[in-house]
Amino acid sequence: MLLHLLKIDLKKLTSYRTFWVVCGLYFITIGFSTASGMEFLKWLASIIEGFGQKINIDRIPLYHFPDVWLNLVWWSGFFKVLLGIMTVISITNEYTYRTLRQNVIDGLSRWEFLLTKILTNFLLSLLSVVLIFLIALVTGFIYSPEINWNYVFTDLEFYPAYLLEVFSYLSYALMLGILVQRSGLTIILLLLSYLLEFIIKTNIDDYMPWIIPFFPMESISALIKMPLYRYAFQEIQDYVDPLSVAVAFAWMVAFNYFSYLKLKRSDL
Amino acid sequence: MKTVLSIKGLTKDYGRLRAVNQLNLEVQQGQVFGMLGPNGSGKTTTLGMLMGVTNPTAGEFTWFGEPPTHTLRKKIGAVLEHPIFYPYLSGQKNLELNAMVKECPADNIPKVLDLVELSGRKDDKYKTYSLGMKQRLAIASALLNEPTVLILDEPTNGLDPMGIAEIRELTKKIAASGKTIILASHLLDEVQKVCTHFAVLKKGNLIHSGPVDDVGRGAETVEVQADVANLSELLMDFSGTASINRENGYFQVTLRDEFHGKDLNRFLFDKGVVASHLVTKKKSLEKMFLEILSEH
Repeated sequence: MLLHLLKIDLKKLTSYRTFWVVCGLYFITIGFSTASGMEFLKWLASIIEGFGQKINIDRIPLYHFPDVWLNLVWWSGFFKVLLGIMTVISITNEYTYRTLRQNVIDGLSRWEFLLTKILTNFLLSLLSVVLIFLIALVTGFIYSPEINWNYVFTDLEFYPAYLLEVFSYLSYALMLGILVQRSGLTIILLLLSYLLEFIIKTNIDDYMPWIIPFFPMESISALIKMPLYRYAFQEIQDYVDPLSVAVAFAWMVAFNYFSYLKLKRSDL
Repeated sequence: MKTVLSIKGLTKDYGRLRAVNQLNLEVQQGQVFGMLGPNGSGKTTTLGMLMGVTNPTAGEFTWFGEPPTHTLRKKIGAVLEHPIFYPYLSGQKNLELNAMVKECPADNIPKVLDLVELSGRKDDKYKTYSLGMKQRLAIASALLNEPTVLILDEPTNGLDPMGIAEIRELTKKIAASGKTIILASHLLDEVQKVCTHFAVLKKGNLIHSGPVDDVGRGAETVEVQADVANLSELLMDFSGTASINRENGYFQVTLRDEFHGKDLNRFLFDKGVVASHLVTKKKSLEKMFLEILSEH
């Protein structure tokens, strides 16, 4: 049944050129950018050499197991906004074309309709995780100076966390789309979300700093923290914070539930 | 006869506006049921509630004697307002998608495309279709699951006369196959031509419902002309005459109940007058509709 619902949404999307363009851009961008980190380091080294300094890029463990796992998921996290935009387009199209109405007339329940979108979100998140995992695996084997199987299988919990990060974000995008219904406005709101939350956060930082980890965007980005600190300050967070998992998971459920409530109550 | 649709006290408020007020209605199997009413009388709102896209404020309805669910909707074919499809998909793909949503086999697609004469354009994108083709594709999609009930809302809206005739023929063809059809329209002529029963809505209130055949009943009007000077007095002498009007150079004689055009003809003949023009006029739905509306 779930598969049937997923197929319905994929049927709509796979003949939609914008879908291929946006998803293509997304997967190509994260694919190439994650795979070409060494080229970036070489370029960096040549710049620094221009200033008369020398760095040994082989000593930066960008692609070494187990660092490679965290490094790549953290970097890919930036590009989830592209998938978010795709989700927004997909749901707001149903409003502009009024096809949501026709789908319900034709016999989908409102919950089933929402499920078709949620399932696609999950599929896209999963594909994204699998792609990063494969790239990390391959680059790890290429660039790690020695393969220690203990290290290869260390820190893999970042992958479920990354799945939650992307899926929560897409759930948020879907909810925005259902609430706002117009694609342009929704995309602007989606892009501004981090900024708006940042403004609120800095304003209440002095009064109630404990509340900050509970903000939606904050909890989603806190799942996978910036790994570069470990090189700069030797300060390592090589685990996934259970609190941010709980908070992000709760938000994910809430986003999808709000979408459902809104769909259920509105006249289509 | 089985009851297909039964509506009890159905009401919809949009803020302070009451779009549908305490609607009670029954549709039996095999009827072609016309819903009439001026624009904004609540026809589409009612159909929207019946198809689960508009949440009723109060009241209830049953399809086939069961409370409405989305599974039941899969057995109904419905086109509300205007055709709705994915513009970037071809007609064929749109129908394939509909078949998936309705969980019915896709084998019917060539058949329904043939029926609405769209087979030649099935692989073109929906957005390239003319309005008439869009309407026809919508009917094809409504027929896809071989529904026993078909809901058509203004199916000829915005079509040219040829398109209107095509859709009307199609509706008749479908009705002849024994399906129950609910047809919302403000084209009275159309309803009279294809419907067996009709209901009239005004500002959300049901103000009339009954068989279309009843429309012709009641007092007959006969249009007469003859080459005699005292025709007016002669007609007044006829015992079946209720009233006489002069219109377009003819006498319009409204007859009392039990009297018919042939009685008047015989009367004139007995008086030695041969009518040069004598037409019995049935009351049209249009006339009746306007009467009903003005009474309320």
